[in-house]
Amino acid sequence: MPFPLTINGLQYVVDVEPETPLLWAIRDTLDLTGTKYGCGIGQCGACTVHVNGQAVRSCSIPVSAAVGTTITTIEGLSVDGTHPVQLAWKEFDAPQCGYCQSGMIMSAVALLQRTSAPTDDEIDSGVTNACRCGTYYRVRQAIHRAAALMSTPPAGSGGRNDDV
Amino acid sequence: MTSKQTVSDAMTAHIETAGMDRREFFITTAAVGGTLVVGCGWPRRGDAVGVTTPAAPWYRESTIPEINAWIVIAPDDTVTIRISQTELGQGVWTACAMMISEELQCDWNKVRGEYASANRDAREEAPAWTLKNPAGPEPSPTDPRGGGGEGDLPATNERISWTGVYRRMTTNRSASVKGNLYFYQLAGAEARERLLLAAAERWDVPTSELTAKDSIITHATTGRTVRYGEVATRAAELEHPHPETITIKSAHEFTLMGTERKNLDVPLKVTGQAVYAIDVKVPGTLHACAKACPVWGGDVKSYDFDAIKEMPGVHSVVQFPKPDPGLVRGRHFSGGVAVVADSWWRAKTALDALPLEWEYPPYTHLNTENMQQALVESIDEPGRLVYQQGNLEDAMAQATSVVEASYDVPYLARARMEPGNATVLVTDDRVDIWIGDQSPQETRFSASQITGIPQEQVHIHSAHLGGGFGRYGNGPQAEHAVMVAKALKGQPVKMQWTREEDWSVGTTYRAMGVARLRAGLDADGYPIAMDIRAAADQTASSPHRSLVPPGYFFPNLRVTNHFADFHVPCGTRRATGSPSNVFFVESFIEELADAAGKDSYEYRRELISRNDFLFKDDWLQALDLVAEMSEWGTPLPEGWARGIAIDDRRYDREKPDVCTIAAMVCTVSVSKAGAIRLERVDVAFDEGFGFVNPLSVRKQIEGQVAWGWNDVMHQGFTVKDGRMEQNNFHDFPVSRMSEYPREVNIRFFKTNHWLEGVGEEAMSQIPPAIVNAVFRATGKRVRSLPLRKHDLSWA
Ligand code: FES
Ligand code: FES
Repeated sequence: MPFPLTINGLQYVVDVEPETPLLWAIRDTLDLTGTKYGCGIGQCGACTVHVNGQAVRSCSIPVSAAVGTTITTIEGLSVDGTHPVQLAWKEFDAPQCGYCQSGMIMSAVALLQRTSAPTDDEIDSGVTNACRCGTYYRVRQAIHRAAALMSTPPAGSGGRNDDV
Repeated sequence: MTSKQTVSDAMTAHIETAGMDRREFFITTAAVGGTLVVGCGWPRRGDAVGVTTPAAPWYRESTIPEINAWIVIAPDDTVTIRISQTELGQGVWTACAMMISEELQCDWNKVRGEYASANRDAREEAPAWTLKNPAGPEPSPTDPRGGGGEGDLPATNERISWTGVYRRMTTNRSASVKGNLYFYQLAGAEARERLLLAAAERWDVPTSELTAKDSIITHATTGRTVRYGEVATRAAELEHPHPETITIKSAHEFTLMGTERKNLDVPLKVTGQAVYAIDVKVPGTLHACAKACPVWGGDVKSYDFDAIKEMPGVHSVVQFPKPDPGLVRGRHFSGGVAVVADSWWRAKTALDALPLEWEYPPYTHLNTENMQQALVESIDEPGRLVYQQGNLEDAMAQATSVVEASYDVPYLARARMEPGNATVLVTDDRVDIWIGDQSPQETRFSASQITGIPQEQVHIHSAHLGGGFGRYGNGPQAEHAVMVAKALKGQPVKMQWTREEDWSVGTTYRAMGVARLRAGLDADGYPIAMDIRAAADQTASSPHRSLVPPGYFFPNLRVTNHFADFHVPCGTRRATGSPSNVFFVESFIEELADAAGKDSYEYRRELISRNDFLFKDDWLQALDLVAEMSEWGTPLPEGWARGIAIDDRRYDREKPDVCTIAAMVCTVSVSKAGAIRLERVDVAFDEGFGFVNPLSVRKQIEGQVAWGWNDVMHQGFTVKDGRMEQNNFHDFPVSRMSEYPREVNIRFFKTNHWLEGVGEEAMSQIPPAIVNAVFRATGKRVRSLPLRKHDLSWA
């Protein structure tokens, strides 16, 4: 069955069974392989993407439920790795094997979108992805750094919050 | 309409095929700018060799001349370094490039990596002059030349050769630095010398007047300079007249090594572009989902393909036999089936629906309880003597008091994040395999044995691995994939396990173990007799490792290993035997300190001081440093406590050997209700002669903190009816951010010896340090892991 999907600003049609998890439409049908399969049961977070701006475990929603939503995958975060979260990740050399990191980054971006300067406790409850390599120490620092990068007004802009 | 085809032979057994030729399906492709192309047609037959993506890490024949097998330098000075080890998060992609660049004297900012070709390694021998370690055939751990690791040609057998052009391709034993350093340095030095020769020829001056730095060759007297990229083509043609005279730097002369370098693979890992084997898509690939009998050594009794053959996308079912133990390090796995379809999800869906009956092996009566009982019984047998000094029984008879304790640890999976997979194309005369693999030479051998195609015609396209944590742990992923692809000759097949299949059937395990330790103490509470007995599965990996405490003074000591024969395939998991054994020994030392009524840091210090052994001062340095770092002995809030542990993971206790000494203090809090938090970890870690990349070392230690916590707190596989009861993250928990300690302090201390490694040397101390701290906080001594089984509430 064909399902129209909007991913990273592009329109796609995938022809799969309606109960096919969004993850497999993204990875296998559309070859957006940055989104990873880790557990398939909503436990690990390796498959995290944004659906309408919320972090969602794509292994756990059927493709039929994603029709009409706006989906962002790791590939859609920036064209060249310059999203503030990606910059912070590189600054702290956060990934080890890297397999969980797409999902970890997507969770961090979603957290920062709703909480611009998260506390350590908010990071704990907002980023619940599993990383077997144990990169949490650097990931936590990188999230704080990304929050700082995102709150710094771009040079010459005169500051974003002037009129608040 | 369905056509049915049956093929049989010894290694691949049986295939049944559905009539796909009457079916049509869509191929959907996005074109630039968001427009859409919907096509209807057939997947093309794979032109496998041409598969590439810009971020693909695997070897490509270079279009520009290579200086030597390891190094290609482009006209723009880009240096491509062939990496013979596998990047699984430990930083070898960068460390290997650093070891070569140290001698090459190239501009580090223009270095990139690609995996060395295991195929070329089968066809080409390493130059004879590179086979000799400059520190001699048996290098001393304190000789600053050579790496201190392996001698000239340590391990060559039919599966692994160290004389092929890429030498040691196995990523194991913490050995990517110690085992490879000298020949990486030689490769870099040889290339540098030939670049100098090319510049000398250009200017007609002797090479002795030239210097090389940051990819620029300078002739100081005339002020002339030339870039590597300008002379690389000529250097590639020139032969070095006397390569055997090339020398390499000693540990104290390194300049690039020892500096913190960002990992070269990280930029691609934050954009999702890094290519893991699971991301590979060869044009025309069919997808296979495999399932093997959950009781190891079992096989398929029957299955009913007719029941699923009309399901969407289904192509065929391949029944594969038990992998030949000779191909999987003597371990016994099961036979099984793979459903092949046009997408993996369809293959998995059909496999779940496939009526399937197993032929169980005679192990279904086994469960954790009766297996543990067998181990306990083996403890009373004489066992295999690991080490002995003095007269244990006489000394025990003279002891003022005797302390005895028994401990046990469960099976553990390495639980890498990327489920086992490989993409394979078998044709009449060639095999192509896309895989993340810690031992591509062995996979090459397996593919050759299964297909009958010579190793020289097996091409392995190595990808980064989504976690590894033990060379043998990958299980028969490659063997399953090759068997299935062989049955579908000419057709690329991507075989991918489910998470459940990987963890409960495909992997190998850290062995379940029990130990009984008995010490006779003198009037001051110090041991005069020590009896250490540790039991594990017959296939346990390094069951003796860290069992003979090199640091402590036990004048009369006997250490024995005991075994029971189980069907569970055990193998190397990060740190091999150490995590079990250090838990036993360092818990028991703590119990002795308590029996003696002494502070556990001071007690350890005294036992080390009384002993006489190489690296004694380094042990004391580690212990004192971590005590100072952790503010040992200062007051903590109620319910908080510190625990301490130390080990060096030395392989050979009998003679001077490489080692990495690490001491830890874990500070925990335990609520009255029994909830444990790891608040803080202090680590004193041996720097040896120096690290390659200290940044990666820090990351490895940080990761091992999570590993140690998981080992002690959460994880355990249990056996019921001969099979594992756990199979996914819900019942084999991996800790999250919220459990990671907020404070991790790492300090390095300098010593004068080569290191055992850094990727598994800071892990084994964490469980006993935590258990020791929990005891201080709650008064409850836990001797059976994991902690989550226990009620740790206190009043
Ligand atoms: S793969 Fe979706 S949560 Fe693990
Ligand atoms: S970086 Fe390896 S699992 Fe997270």
